[in-house]
Amino acid sequence: MGNEPAHTITRYDQELDRLRGIVARMGGLVERQTAQAIAAVVNQNEEAALEPPELDPEVDALEREAEMLAIRILALRAPMAVDLRVIVAVLKMSGDLERIGDYASSIARRAAKVEVLDGALSFSALRAMARLVQENLHMAVESMVENDAERAQEVWKADTAVDELYTTMFRELVTYMMEDPRKIGPCIHLLFVAKNLERIGDHATNIAERVYYAVTGEMLPSVRPRGGAARTNIEQPE
Amino acid sequence: MSVEVPVKTAGMTQPLDTAAPSRDAHPVAMQVKGLNFYYGTSHALHDISLDFPERSVTGMIGPSGCGKSTLLRVLNRMYDLYPGQRATGEVIFDRQNILNAGVDLNVLRSRIGMVFQKPTPFPMSIYDNIAFGIRLHERVSRSEMDGRVEDALRRVALWPEVQDRLSASATALSGGQQQRLCIARTIAVRPEVILLDEPTSALDPVSTARIEELLDELKTEFTIAIVTHNMQQAARCADQVAFFYMGRLIEVDSTARMFTTPREQQTQDYITGRFG
Repeated sequence: MGNEPAHTITRYDQELDRLRGIVARMGGLVERQTAQAIAAVVNQNEEAALEPPELDPEVDALEREAEMLAIRILALRAPMAVDLRVIVAVLKMSGDLERIGDYASSIARRAAKVEVLDGALSFSALRAMARLVQENLHMAVESMVENDAERAQEVWKADTAVDELYTTMFRELVTYMMEDPRKIGPCIHLLFVAKNLERIGDHATNIAERVYYAVTGEMLPSVRPRGGAARTNIEQPE
Repeated sequence: MSVEVPVKTAGMTQPLDTAAPSRDAHPVAMQVKGLNFYYGTSHALHDISLDFPERSVTGMIGPSGCGKSTLLRVLNRMYDLYPGQRATGEVIFDRQNILNAGVDLNVLRSRIGMVFQKPTPFPMSIYDNIAFGIRLHERVSRSEMDGRVEDALRRVALWPEVQDRLSASATALSGGQQQRLCIARTIAVRPEVILLDEPTSALDPVSTARIEELLDELKTEFTIAIVTHNMQQAARCADQVAFFYMGRLIEVDSTARMFTTPREQQTQDYITGRFG
């Protein structure tokens, strides 16, 4: 999508470049938010916890800017083919990125509340999950900036592992809570952290789907590989 | 934990459902096969093969000089009017190759009508503009003629505007009205195919919208081929779109597919404004 020859109308190219620049910037910001949120939880880094909510207004402003510019281009340039696909993708991706920022902020706000669980089995699952989500988000943003459909498809497939880890954590935490009701508070927070991470993974997958469509003109199947979606039913212990 | 998740890898992608139903549902009204066309020694069309589905609109786009108008002029043998122009290959219409020498051109042009870029009303009354074409091909009574003229004018939504001044000169009409009159003249002889060569390029947006609305109605009855420089017009009117470049047919597909996901880079460059 950025690899096409130039338009006859130079201003059109400038507008599309600006639009891509805005989402690239958003991508960088929400990656930063996510990384700091994860550091706040898994390393119990209090300073890191402050950053994600601070960056939120900037991400929101960029989302609005992307939307206004996309509408302007749609109205004034009547884009076709790859241009049209890119603009529609940007509109949707900016929404995904904004949500990722929100989830990162939410994770950061809970960081202090899950400290007592450090050392529990679920915490190592969370670490693994955090690493995967961060990797996927990074690949999704990269595929977006570099118009790389192949990489986008990798992200799309990789989300399964995140879902599986979430399911594992869910079951473990339910067990903890049953064993020791005093831990219900922190466990719930940790569960939300995990759920938010899982949602970030989903939005990264959405971004990968938009990139794939924008670049190839084809849509990935509406049902993507999912791990553990139906396995979060609470089971009674033996 | 043993979780098995089916990950489909083969046939993973599915094309966006943009196929126009009319492409396959409609039988072919006119079929161009291996057509080559020459202006003297200049080779203007190279090995063109293209189907025109019945009762649907085929849009033909491409930069100036790409051959789209030339193809249109082949489809009713308009080129025969000029010396030194010749076509080889086939244009099958009603099981007959219309490029054959024995074809009665008057009959052919009554079955395959044409509307030009600039409105071409005859310098006679509005009524006679319509009646003239009918008289060329048929012998009809005065009262029947009145009915045919009214019907044609109604079909192009011109009747309310001209019913009180049918004997007035057609040249006094506005550009948009003149073009609708020309379309009325074409359909009055009851053709099967209507060829339009940039029919709205000289018209204002309101007149253009009226013609486009008219095409939508006419396609329920006629097979339509339209040459246009206006990409949005092709997007709005056509069921399938053919892109021509330097005398070659580069790509033809359903309109939705052409404007969202063209297969050929040249098509994409042209429709996104990245040409040359």
